[in-house]
Amino acid sequence: MTAGPPMRARASLRHVPLLLVWLCAAFPVVLWLVHAADPELAVRIAHGTGRALTTCAWVLGGTIAVALLLFPPAAAWLRRAGSRTWLALTMDHGPLNRAISELRHFETGARHAEIGRLLRLRRQTEAAWQHLSRAVEMDPGVASAWHQLGLVAFAQHEWQLAANAFDRAEALEPGHAFGDAALHLGRCLYELGDARALDVLRAHQQRHGGGPRSHLWLADALQRAGDTAGAIAALHEAAAPPRTRLTAEENWFRALARVRLWRKRGHP
Amino acid sequence: MSHALAEVDDIPVTLVIAIAYGTLAVVTGMLPEAEDFHVRLAHFGMLIPAAAAAGEPWRLVAHAFLHGNILHLLVNLASFIAIGPALERSLGSVRFAALYLVSALGGGLAVCLWTPMTPVVGGSGALFGMTGALVAVNMRSGRHLFAFLDFEGPRRVLGLIVVNLLIGLLIPIISNTAHVGGLITGFVVTFLWLRPGTQSPALRHWRIATAALFASVLLWSLFPVTRFDWLLLRAAATADPERSADLQRAGQLALTLTVEPESPEELDPPRPR
Repeated sequence: MTAGPPMRARASLRHVPLLLVWLCAAFPVVLWLVHAADPELAVRIAHGTGRALTTCAWVLGGTIAVALLLFPPAAAWLRRAGSRTWLALTMDHGPLNRAISELRHFETGARHAEIGRLLRLRRQTEAAWQHLSRAVEMDPGVASAWHQLGLVAFAQHEWQLAANAFDRAEALEPGHAFGDAALHLGRCLYELGDARALDVLRAHQQRHGGGPRSHLWLADALQRAGDTAGAIAALHEAAAPPRTRLTAEENWFRALARVRLWRKRGHP
Repeated sequence: MSHALAEVDDIPVTLVIAIAYGTLAVVTGMLPEAEDFHVRLAHFGMLIPAAAAAGEPWRLVAHAFLHGNILHLLVNLASFIAIGPALERSLGSVRFAALYLVSALGGGLAVCLWTPMTPVVGGSGALFGMTGALVAVNMRSGRHLFAFLDFEGPRRVLGLIVVNLLIGLLIPIISNTAHVGGLITGFVVTFLWLRPGTQSPALRHWRIATAALFASVLLWSLFPVTRFDWLLLRAAATADPERSADLQRAGQLALTLTVEPESPEELDPPRPR
Protein backbone atom coordinates (compact mmCIF):
# COMPACT_ATOMS: atom_id res chain seq x y z
CA MET A 1 0.00 0.00 0.00
CA THR A 2 1.31 3.46 -0.82
CA ALA A 3 2.21 5.98 1.82
CA GLY A 4 -0.27 8.72 2.62
CA PRO A 5 -0.05 12.24 1.26
CA PRO A 6 1.36 15.10 3.32
CA MET A 7 -1.94 15.41 5.18
CA ARG A 8 -2.41 18.45 7.32
CA ALA A 9 -2.94 17.97 11.01
CA ARG A 10 -6.33 19.60 11.52
CA ALA A 11 -7.91 20.37 14.81
CA SER A 12 -10.97 18.22 15.26
CA LEU A 13 -13.82 18.40 17.73
CA ARG A 14 -13.65 14.61 17.92
CA HIS A 15 -10.51 14.91 20.05
CA VAL A 16 -12.12 17.18 22.62
CA PRO A 17 -13.78 14.41 24.72
CA LEU A 18 -10.50 12.48 24.86
CA LEU A 19 -8.67 15.62 25.90
CA LEU A 20 -11.24 16.23 28.64
CA VAL A 21 -10.76 12.70 29.96
CA TRP A 22 -7.00 13.27 30.13
CA LEU A 23 -7.50 16.60 31.90
CA CYS A 24 -9.80 14.95 34.45
CA ALA A 25 -7.23 12.19 34.93
CA ALA A 26 -4.42 14.69 35.44
CA PHE A 27 -6.29 16.87 37.94
CA PRO A 28 -6.10 14.60 41.05
CA VAL A 29 -2.42 13.94 40.32
CA VAL A 30 -1.73 17.67 40.09
CA LEU A 31 -3.61 18.24 43.35
CA TRP A 32 -1.62 15.50 45.02
CA LEU A 33 1.66 17.03 43.86
CA VAL A 34 0.61 20.52 44.95
CA HIS A 35 -0.53 19.12 48.28
CA ALA A 36 2.95 17.76 48.94
CA ALA A 37 4.31 21.31 48.71
CA ASP A 38 1.42 23.40 50.02
CA PRO A 39 -1.76 21.72 51.34
CA GLU A 40 -3.68 25.00 51.54
CA LEU A 41 -2.96 25.82 47.91
CA ALA A 42 -4.25 22.40 46.85
CA VAL A 43 -7.53 23.05 48.69
CA ARG A 44 -7.86 26.48 47.12
CA ILE A 45 -7.16 25.07 43.63
CA ALA A 46 -9.73 22.28 44.08
CA HIS A 47 -12.50 24.56 45.29
CA GLY A 48 -11.60 27.32 42.83
CA THR A 49 -11.72 24.84 39.96
CA GLY A 50 -15.10 23.58 41.09
CA ARG A 51 -16.50 27.10 41.12
CA ALA A 52 -14.84 27.97 37.80
CA LEU A 53 -16.35 24.88 36.18
CA THR A 54 -19.82 25.80 37.42
CA THR A 55 -19.39 29.33 36.09
CA CYS A 56 -18.04 28.00 32.79
CA ALA A 57 -21.05 25.73 32.37
CA TRP A 58 -23.41 28.68 32.79
CA VAL A 59 -21.35 30.90 30.48
CA LEU A 60 -21.16 28.16 27.86
CA GLY A 61 -24.90 27.60 27.98
CA GLY A 62 -25.52 31.33 27.70
CA THR A 63 -23.04 31.67 24.84
CA ILE A 64 -24.70 28.89 22.87
CA ALA A 65 -28.10 30.49 23.42
CA VAL A 66 -26.84 33.92 22.30
CA ALA A 67 -24.96 32.40 19.34
CA LEU A 68 -28.14 30.71 18.17
CA LEU A 69 -29.91 34.07 18.25
CA LEU A 70 -27.17 36.27 16.80
CA PHE A 71 -25.27 34.03 14.41
CA PRO A 72 -27.70 32.54 11.89
CA PRO A 73 -25.61 29.58 10.70
CA ALA A 74 -25.26 28.33 14.29
CA ALA A 75 -28.47 26.32 14.06
CA ALA A 76 -27.44 24.90 10.69
CA TRP A 77 -23.98 24.12 12.07
CA LEU A 78 -25.51 22.31 15.04
CA ARG A 79 -27.81 20.35 12.72
CA ARG A 80 -24.85 19.37 10.53
CA ALA A 81 -22.71 18.38 13.53
CA GLY A 82 -25.60 16.36 14.95
CA SER A 83 -26.21 14.68 11.62
CA ARG A 84 -22.55 13.77 11.22
CA THR A 85 -22.36 12.42 14.75
CA TRP A 86 -25.52 10.37 14.31
CA LEU A 87 -24.22 9.02 11.00
CA ALA A 88 -20.93 8.04 12.61
CA LEU A 89 -22.70 6.31 15.49
CA THR A 90 -25.29 4.48 13.42
CA MET A 91 -23.16 3.46 10.46
CA ASP A 92 -23.41 -0.24 9.71
CA HIS A 93 -19.94 -1.68 10.24
CA GLY A 94 -20.82 -5.02 8.59
CA PRO A 95 -19.85 -4.04 5.02
CA LEU A 96 -16.50 -2.65 6.18
CA ASN A 97 -15.65 -5.75 8.22
CA ARG A 98 -16.75 -7.97 5.32
CA ALA A 99 -14.69 -6.04 2.77
CA ILE A 100 -11.61 -6.08 5.03
CA SER A 101 -11.90 -9.83 5.59
CA GLU A 102 -12.38 -10.42 1.85
CA LEU A 103 -9.30 -8.34 1.14
CA ARG A 104 -7.21 -10.81 3.14
CA HIS A 105 -7.99 -13.48 0.56
CA PHE A 106 -8.25 -11.55 -2.72
CA GLU A 107 -6.68 -8.16 -3.20
CA THR A 108 -8.50 -6.20 -5.87
CA GLY A 109 -8.77 -2.54 -6.67
CA ALA A 110 -12.55 -2.63 -6.24
CA ARG A 111 -12.24 -3.96 -2.69
CA HIS A 112 -9.67 -1.33 -1.78
CA ALA A 113 -11.95 1.33 -3.25
CA GLU A 114 -14.92 0.07 -1.26
CA ILE A 115 -12.93 -0.05 1.99
CA GLY A 116 -11.57 3.42 1.27
CA ARG A 117 -15.08 4.76 0.67
CA LEU A 118 -16.38 3.28 3.92
CA LEU A 119 -13.38 4.54 5.89
CA ARG A 120 -13.84 8.01 4.40
CA LEU A 121 -17.44 8.02 5.60
CA ARG A 122 -16.09 7.15 9.04
CA ARG A 123 -13.65 10.06 8.73
CA GLN A 124 -10.65 7.76 9.04
CA THR A 125 -8.96 9.77 6.34
CA GLU A 126 -5.42 8.43 6.51
CA ALA A 127 -6.49 4.80 6.29
CA ALA A 128 -8.98 5.74 3.56
CA TRP A 129 -6.24 7.46 1.59
CA GLN A 130 -4.02 4.38 1.75
CA HIS A 131 -6.74 2.06 0.48
CA LEU A 132 -7.92 4.43 -2.23
CA SER A 133 -4.44 5.18 -3.51
CA ARG A 134 -3.84 1.43 -3.68
CA ALA A 135 -7.14 1.05 -5.54
CA VAL A 136 -6.20 3.56 -8.24
CA GLU A 137 -2.73 2.05 -8.43
CA MET A 138 -4.16 -1.41 -9.10
CA ASP A 139 -7.00 -0.27 -11.33
CA PRO A 140 -6.50 3.28 -12.62
CA GLY A 141 -9.52 3.14 -14.91
CA VAL A 142 -12.17 3.32 -12.19
CA ALA A 143 -13.69 6.80 -11.88
CA SER A 144 -15.32 6.18 -8.50
CA ALA A 145 -11.97 5.37 -6.85
CA TRP A 146 -10.49 8.62 -8.16
CA HIS A 147 -13.58 10.47 -7.00
CA GLN A 148 -13.30 9.04 -3.48
CA LEU A 149 -9.58 9.77 -3.43
CA GLY A 150 -10.36 13.35 -4.37
CA LEU A 151 -12.93 13.65 -1.58
CA VAL A 152 -10.39 12.47 1.00
CA ALA A 153 -7.83 15.01 -0.21
CA PHE A 154 -10.55 17.68 -0.38
CA ALA A 155 -11.46 17.06 3.26
CA GLN A 156 -7.79 17.58 4.14
CA HIS A 157 -7.64 20.82 2.07
CA GLU A 158 -5.02 19.25 -0.20
CA TRP A 159 -6.41 21.13 -3.15
CA GLN A 160 -3.89 20.16 -5.82
CA LEU A 161 -4.08 16.44 -5.01
CA ALA A 162 -7.85 16.65 -4.92
CA ALA A 163 -8.04 18.56 -8.21
CA ASN A 164 -5.88 15.96 -9.94
CA ALA A 165 -8.05 13.13 -8.63
CA PHE A 166 -11.35 14.80 -9.61
CA ASP A 167 -9.90 15.64 -13.00
CA ARG A 168 -9.08 11.99 -13.57
CA ALA A 169 -12.57 10.94 -12.47
CA GLU A 170 -14.17 13.43 -14.86
CA ALA A 171 -11.90 12.38 -17.71
CA LEU A 172 -12.77 8.72 -17.18
CA GLU A 173 -16.49 9.27 -16.75
CA PRO A 174 -17.83 12.76 -17.51
CA GLY A 175 -20.56 13.72 -15.06
CA HIS A 176 -19.43 11.08 -12.59
CA ALA A 177 -21.55 10.81 -9.41
CA PHE A 178 -24.20 13.17 -10.79
CA GLY A 179 -21.61 15.85 -11.33
CA ASP A 180 -20.13 15.72 -7.83
CA ALA A 181 -16.59 15.23 -9.19
CA ALA A 182 -16.99 18.23 -11.49
CA LEU A 183 -18.40 20.37 -8.69
CA HIS A 184 -15.50 19.53 -6.39
CA LEU A 185 -13.04 20.02 -9.23
CA GLY A 186 -14.40 23.54 -9.69
CA ARG A 187 -14.05 24.29 -6.00
CA CYS A 188 -10.49 22.92 -5.90
CA LEU A 189 -9.54 25.11 -8.85
CA TYR A 190 -11.10 28.09 -7.06
CA GLU A 191 -9.07 27.36 -3.93
CA LEU A 192 -5.94 27.07 -6.08
CA GLY A 193 -6.70 30.46 -7.69
CA ASP A 194 -7.13 28.86 -11.11
CA ALA A 195 -9.25 30.94 -13.52
CA ARG A 196 -10.81 27.77 -14.99
CA ALA A 197 -12.83 27.35 -11.80
CA LEU A 198 -15.66 29.59 -13.02
CA ASP A 199 -15.98 27.72 -16.31
CA VAL A 200 -16.03 24.35 -14.59
CA LEU A 201 -18.66 25.45 -12.06
CA ARG A 202 -20.81 27.06 -14.74
CA ALA A 203 -20.60 23.93 -16.88
CA HIS A 204 -21.59 21.88 -13.85
CA GLN A 205 -24.63 24.11 -13.25
CA GLN A 206 -25.75 23.87 -16.86
CA ARG A 207 -25.40 20.14 -16.96
CA HIS A 208 -26.58 19.08 -13.53
CA GLY A 209 -28.53 22.01 -12.10
CA GLY A 210 -27.60 23.12 -8.64
CA GLY A 211 -28.28 23.12 -4.95
CA PRO A 212 -27.23 25.55 -2.24
CA ARG A 213 -23.65 24.29 -2.26
CA SER A 214 -23.04 24.56 -6.00
CA HIS A 215 -24.73 28.00 -6.12
CA LEU A 216 -22.64 29.22 -3.20
CA TRP A 217 -19.41 27.98 -4.73
CA LEU A 218 -20.39 29.53 -8.06
CA ALA A 219 -21.06 32.82 -6.24
CA ASP A 220 -17.54 32.69 -4.77
CA ALA A 221 -16.03 32.14 -8.22
CA LEU A 222 -18.13 34.93 -9.76
CA GLN A 223 -17.16 37.33 -7.00
CA ARG A 224 -13.50 36.60 -7.58
CA ALA A 225 -13.98 37.15 -11.31
CA GLY A 226 -15.44 40.60 -10.53
CA ASP A 227 -19.05 39.78 -11.41
CA THR A 228 -20.69 41.02 -8.19
CA ALA A 229 -24.21 41.11 -9.63
CA GLY A 230 -23.85 37.52 -10.82
CA ALA A 231 -22.49 36.52 -7.41
CA ILE A 232 -25.47 38.05 -5.62
CA ALA A 233 -27.87 36.34 -8.02
CA ALA A 234 -26.14 33.03 -7.30
CA LEU A 235 -26.35 33.70 -3.56
CA HIS A 236 -30.08 34.33 -3.92
CA GLU A 237 -30.38 31.00 -5.70
CA ALA A 238 -28.42 29.31 -2.91
CA ALA A 239 -30.52 30.94 -0.19
CA ALA A 240 -33.87 30.33 -1.87
CA PRO A 241 -36.40 28.37 0.20
CA PRO A 242 -36.04 24.71 -0.72
CA ARG A 243 -38.88 22.77 -2.29
CA THR A 244 -38.03 19.71 -0.26
CA ARG A 245 -36.26 19.32 3.07
CA LEU A 246 -32.53 19.78 2.54
CA THR A 247 -29.92 17.45 3.92
CA ALA A 248 -27.97 18.79 6.88
CA GLU A 249 -24.92 19.36 4.64
CA GLU A 250 -26.84 21.31 1.97
CA ASN A 251 -28.72 23.22 4.67
CA TRP A 252 -25.36 24.42 6.02
CA PHE A 253 -24.46 25.93 2.63
CA ARG A 254 -27.88 27.57 2.39
CA ALA A 255 -27.36 29.12 5.84
CA LEU A 256 -23.95 30.42 4.73
CA ALA A 257 -25.51 31.93 1.61
CA ARG A 258 -28.20 33.66 3.68
CA VAL A 259 -25.57 35.18 5.96
CA ARG A 260 -23.53 36.37 2.99
CA LEU A 261 -26.62 38.01 1.50
CA TRP A 262 -27.43 39.63 4.84
CA ARG A 263 -23.91 41.03 5.05
CA LYS A 264 -24.08 42.33 1.48
CA ARG A 265 -27.25 44.35 2.11
CA GLY A 266 -26.49 47.87 0.97
CA HIS A 267 -23.18 46.75 -0.51
CA PRO A 268 -24.12 45.28 -3.89
CA MET B 1 -1.62 -21.56 31.56
CA SER B 2 -4.41 -21.36 28.98
CA HIS B 3 -5.71 -24.73 30.20
CA ALA B 4 -5.81 -23.42 33.76
CA LEU B 5 -7.58 -20.28 32.58
CA ALA B 6 -10.14 -22.41 30.73
CA GLU B 7 -10.72 -24.39 33.94
CA VAL B 8 -11.22 -21.18 35.90
CA ASP B 9 -13.60 -19.97 33.22
CA ASP B 10 -15.90 -22.87 34.09
CA ILE B 11 -16.52 -21.60 37.63
CA PRO B 12 -20.13 -20.35 37.89
CA VAL B 13 -19.27 -16.90 39.23
CA THR B 14 -22.90 -15.80 39.47
CA LEU B 15 -23.59 -18.67 41.85
CA VAL B 16 -20.41 -17.97 43.84
CA ILE B 17 -21.33 -14.31 44.32
CA ALA B 18 -24.92 -15.18 45.22
CA ILE B 19 -23.63 -17.63 47.86
CA ALA B 20 -21.27 -14.90 49.10
CA TYR B 21 -24.24 -12.56 49.49
CA GLY B 22 -26.09 -15.11 51.61
CA THR B 23 -23.07 -16.20 53.64
CA LEU B 24 -22.09 -12.64 54.50
CA ALA B 25 -25.71 -11.88 55.44
CA VAL B 26 -25.44 -14.66 58.05
CA VAL B 27 -21.91 -13.75 59.16
CA THR B 28 -22.74 -10.07 59.62
CA GLY B 29 -25.74 -10.99 61.73
CA MET B 30 -28.53 -9.98 59.37
CA LEU B 31 -30.09 -13.45 59.40
CA PRO B 32 -31.28 -13.49 62.16
CA GLU B 33 -30.68 -9.81 62.92
CA ALA B 34 -28.10 -9.42 65.67
CA GLU B 35 -27.90 -6.48 68.04
CA ASP B 36 -24.47 -5.49 66.78
CA PHE B 37 -25.44 -5.93 63.09
CA HIS B 38 -24.37 -2.44 62.04
CA VAL B 39 -21.10 -2.72 63.94
CA ARG B 40 -20.41 -5.97 62.12
CA LEU B 41 -21.31 -4.37 58.80
CA ALA B 42 -18.76 -1.65 59.47
CA HIS B 43 -16.23 -4.28 60.49
CA PHE B 44 -16.78 -6.47 57.42
CA GLY B 45 -16.45 -3.78 54.81
CA MET B 46 -19.15 -1.12 54.75
CA LEU B 47 -17.84 1.62 52.49
CA ILE B 48 -16.88 4.52 54.76
CA PRO B 49 -14.89 6.87 52.49
CA ALA B 50 -12.90 8.26 55.41
CA ALA B 51 -11.91 4.75 56.47
CA ALA B 52 -11.03 3.78 52.89
CA ALA B 53 -8.72 6.79 52.75
CA ALA B 54 -7.25 5.95 56.15
CA GLY B 55 -5.66 2.67 55.11
CA GLU B 56 -8.63 0.36 54.44
CA PRO B 57 -8.92 0.44 50.62
CA TRP B 58 -10.53 -3.02 50.49
CA ARG B 59 -13.78 -1.35 51.58
CA LEU B 60 -14.07 0.08 48.05
CA VAL B 61 -14.90 -3.43 46.81
CA ALA B 62 -16.01 -5.30 49.94
CA HIS B 63 -19.13 -3.19 50.40
CA ALA B 64 -20.58 -4.74 47.24
CA PHE B 65 -21.02 -8.10 49.02
CA LEU B 66 -22.83 -6.75 52.09
CA HIS B 67 -26.44 -5.67 52.50
CA GLY B 68 -28.31 -3.47 54.94
CA ASN B 69 -31.46 -5.55 55.50
CA ILE B 70 -33.33 -8.57 54.19
CA LEU B 71 -35.32 -6.62 51.61
CA HIS B 72 -32.13 -5.05 50.29
CA LEU B 73 -30.53 -8.49 50.05
CA LEU B 74 -33.51 -10.10 48.33
CA VAL B 75 -33.95 -7.34 45.76
CA ASN B 76 -30.26 -7.35 44.84
CA LEU B 77 -30.06 -11.14 44.83
CA ALA B 78 -33.10 -11.43 42.55
CA SER B 79 -31.74 -8.80 40.18
CA PHE B 80 -28.32 -10.42 40.17
CA ILE B 81 -29.72 -13.86 39.41
CA ALA B 82 -31.87 -12.35 36.63
CA ILE B 83 -28.99 -10.53 34.95
CA GLY B 84 -25.89 -12.53 35.89
CA PRO B 85 -26.14 -15.92 34.14
CA ALA B 86 -26.78 -14.54 30.63
CA LEU B 87 -24.04 -11.97 30.95
CA GLU B 88 -21.65 -14.55 32.38
CA ARG B 89 -22.30 -16.86 29.42
CA SER B 90 -21.71 -13.96 27.07
CA LEU B 91 -18.47 -12.69 28.60
CA GLY B 92 -17.01 -15.79 30.27
CA SER B 93 -16.61 -16.33 34.00
CA VAL B 94 -13.24 -14.65 34.49
CA ARG B 95 -14.28 -11.50 32.66
CA PHE B 96 -17.63 -11.51 34.43
CA ALA B 97 -15.95 -11.69 37.83
CA ALA B 98 -13.56 -8.89 36.83
CA LEU B 99 -16.52 -6.83 35.63
CA TYR B 100 -18.35 -7.30 38.93
CA LEU B 101 -15.33 -6.26 40.98
CA VAL B 102 -14.43 -3.29 38.78
CA SER B 103 -18.05 -2.09 38.73
CA ALA B 104 -18.19 -2.34 42.51
CA LEU B 105 -14.96 -0.37 42.67
CA GLY B 106 -16.38 2.20 40.25
CA GLY B 107 -19.47 2.63 42.42
CA GLY B 108 -17.27 2.97 45.51
CA LEU B 109 -15.06 5.57 43.83
CA ALA B 110 -18.11 7.59 42.82
CA VAL B 111 -19.26 7.62 46.45
CA CYS B 112 -15.80 8.74 47.62
CA LEU B 113 -15.79 11.45 44.96
CA TRP B 114 -19.29 12.92 45.31
CA THR B 115 -20.77 11.91 48.67
CA PRO B 116 -17.75 11.21 50.88
CA MET B 117 -19.71 11.65 54.11
CA THR B 118 -22.18 8.87 53.27
CA PRO B 119 -21.44 5.26 54.30
CA VAL B 120 -22.67 2.73 51.74
CA VAL B 121 -23.35 -1.02 51.57
CA GLY B 122 -24.87 -3.19 48.86
CA GLY B 123 -24.16 -4.78 45.54
CA SER B 124 -26.44 -2.48 43.57
CA GLY B 125 -23.56 -0.37 42.23
CA ALA B 126 -22.05 -3.53 40.77
CA LEU B 127 -25.51 -4.61 39.56
CA PHE B 128 -25.86 -1.34 37.70
CA GLY B 129 -22.44 -2.14 36.26
CA MET B 130 -23.93 -5.42 34.98
CA THR B 131 -26.79 -3.57 33.28
CA GLY B 132 -24.32 -1.07 31.81
CA ALA B 133 -22.36 -4.05 30.52
CA LEU B 134 -25.52 -5.49 28.95
CA VAL B 135 -26.06 -2.24 27.09
CA ALA B 136 -22.42 -2.21 25.97
CA VAL B 137 -22.58 -5.83 24.78
CA ASN B 138 -25.71 -5.02 22.78
CA MET B 139 -24.14 -1.90 21.29
CA ARG B 140 -21.05 -3.87 20.27
CA SER B 141 -23.03 -6.76 18.82
CA GLY B 142 -25.25 -4.91 16.37
CA ARG B 143 -24.76 -3.63 12.85
CA HIS B 144 -24.06 -0.27 14.39
CA LEU B 145 -23.98 1.21 17.88
CA PHE B 146 -27.72 1.84 18.16
CA ALA B 147 -29.04 -1.09 16.13
CA PHE B 148 -30.00 -2.78 19.41
CA LEU B 149 -32.80 -0.25 19.86
CA ASP B 150 -34.72 -2.18 17.19
CA PHE B 151 -35.21 -5.03 19.65
CA GLU B 152 -37.58 -5.27 22.59
CA GLY B 153 -35.20 -6.96 25.07
CA PRO B 154 -32.38 -4.40 25.00
CA ARG B 155 -34.95 -1.58 25.08
CA ARG B 156 -36.31 -3.10 28.29
CA VAL B 157 -32.82 -3.05 29.81
CA LEU B 158 -32.66 0.69 29.16
CA GLY B 159 -36.11 1.08 30.72
CA LEU B 160 -34.96 -0.93 33.73
CA ILE B 161 -31.98 1.39 34.20
CA VAL B 162 -34.13 4.53 33.98
CA VAL B 163 -36.76 3.17 36.40
CA ASN B 164 -34.12 2.13 38.94
CA LEU B 165 -32.37 5.50 38.74
CA LEU B 166 -35.74 7.21 39.33
CA ILE B 167 -36.38 4.98 42.32
CA GLY B 168 -32.93 5.96 43.61
CA LEU B 169 -33.83 9.62 43.23
CA LEU B 170 -37.13 9.25 45.05
CA ILE B 171 -35.90 7.20 48.02
CA PRO B 172 -33.32 9.21 49.97
CA ILE B 173 -31.56 6.30 51.66
CA ILE B 174 -30.57 4.82 48.28
CA SER B 175 -27.17 5.94 47.04
CA ASN B 176 -27.75 6.84 43.42
CA THR B 177 -24.15 8.03 43.28
CA ALA B 178 -22.96 4.44 43.63
CA HIS B 179 -25.52 3.34 41.04
CA VAL B 180 -24.38 5.88 38.47
CA GLY B 181 -20.70 5.18 39.21
CA GLY B 182 -21.24 1.45 38.78
CA LEU B 183 -23.34 1.93 35.64
CA ILE B 184 -20.74 4.09 33.92
CA THR B 185 -17.88 1.84 34.98
CA GLY B 186 -19.61 -1.33 33.81
CA PHE B 187 -20.54 0.23 30.50
CA VAL B 188 -17.11 1.70 29.79
CA VAL B 189 -15.18 -1.39 30.87
CA THR B 190 -17.31 -3.67 28.71
CA PHE B 191 -17.46 -1.32 25.76
CA LEU B 192 -13.74 -0.63 25.64
CA TRP B 193 -12.14 -3.71 27.11
CA LEU B 194 -14.27 -6.83 27.23
CA ARG B 195 -15.57 -7.16 23.69
CA PRO B 196 -12.98 -7.93 21.04
CA GLY B 197 -13.67 -6.05 17.83
CA THR B 198 -11.93 -3.76 15.41
CA GLN B 199 -8.75 -2.61 17.15
CA SER B 200 -8.70 0.95 15.90
CA PRO B 201 -6.16 3.50 17.14
CA ALA B 202 -9.04 5.53 18.58
CA LEU B 203 -10.11 2.57 20.72
CA ARG B 204 -6.54 2.20 21.99
CA HIS B 205 -6.41 5.91 22.89
CA TRP B 206 -9.70 5.67 24.76
CA ARG B 207 -8.56 2.58 26.63
CA ILE B 208 -5.42 4.30 27.85
CA ALA B 209 -7.24 7.52 28.76
CA THR B 210 -10.03 5.79 30.70
CA ALA B 211 -7.55 3.55 32.52
CA ALA B 212 -5.58 6.66 33.50
CA LEU B 213 -8.77 8.36 34.69
CA PHE B 214 -9.78 5.33 36.75
CA ALA B 215 -6.31 5.11 38.34
CA SER B 216 -6.36 8.83 39.02
CA VAL B 217 -9.76 8.72 40.75
CA LEU B 218 -8.57 5.72 42.75
CA LEU B 219 -5.53 7.73 43.83
CA TRP B 220 -7.77 10.61 44.85
CA SER B 221 -10.09 8.31 46.81
CA LEU B 222 -7.19 6.86 48.76
CA PHE B 223 -5.48 10.25 49.20
CA PRO B 224 -8.28 12.86 49.09
CA VAL B 225 -5.87 15.73 49.61
CA THR B 226 -8.55 18.44 49.55
CA ARG B 227 -11.10 16.77 51.86
CA PHE B 228 -11.26 18.30 55.32
CA ASP B 229 -11.73 15.01 57.21
CA TRP B 230 -8.66 13.46 55.63
CA LEU B 231 -6.56 16.61 56.14
CA LEU B 232 -7.53 16.92 59.81
CA LEU B 233 -6.88 13.24 60.44
CA ARG B 234 -3.47 13.51 58.77
CA ALA B 235 -2.72 16.62 60.80
CA ALA B 236 -3.40 14.67 63.96
CA ALA B 237 -1.36 11.69 62.83
CA THR B 238 1.72 13.54 61.56
CA ALA B 239 4.67 13.73 63.92
CA ASP B 240 6.24 16.79 62.23
CA PRO B 241 4.68 19.84 63.98
CA GLU B 242 5.23 22.19 61.01
CA ARG B 243 3.59 19.78 58.56
CA SER B 244 0.82 19.14 61.04
CA ALA B 245 0.12 22.89 61.27
CA ASP B 246 0.03 23.15 57.47
CA LEU B 247 -2.41 20.25 57.22
CA GLN B 248 -4.52 21.68 60.04
CA ARG B 249 -4.83 25.01 58.25
CA ALA B 250 -5.67 23.31 54.96
CA GLY B 251 -8.25 21.11 56.67
CA GLN B 252 -9.96 24.05 58.31
CA LEU B 253 -9.95 25.95 55.03
CA ALA B 254 -11.51 22.95 53.26
CA LEU B 255 -14.12 22.68 56.03
CA THR B 256 -14.96 26.37 55.70
CA LEU B 257 -15.25 26.14 51.92
CA THR B 258 -17.34 22.98 52.09
CA VAL B 259 -19.77 24.18 54.75
CA GLU B 260 -20.23 27.81 53.70
CA PRO B 261 -18.77 28.32 50.26
CA GLU B 262 -20.84 31.47 49.65
CA SER B 263 -19.35 33.60 52.45
CA PRO B 264 -16.23 35.31 51.08
CA GLU B 265 -15.31 36.84 54.44
CA GLU B 266 -14.92 33.35 55.86
CA LEU B 267 -12.54 32.15 53.16
CA ASP B 268 -9.45 33.03 55.17
CA PRO B 269 -8.58 30.06 57.33
CA PRO B 270 -8.34 30.43 61.07
CA ARG B 271 -4.75 30.65 62.16
CA PRO B 272 -3.37 27.97 64.46
CA ARG B 273 -2.83 28.80 68.06
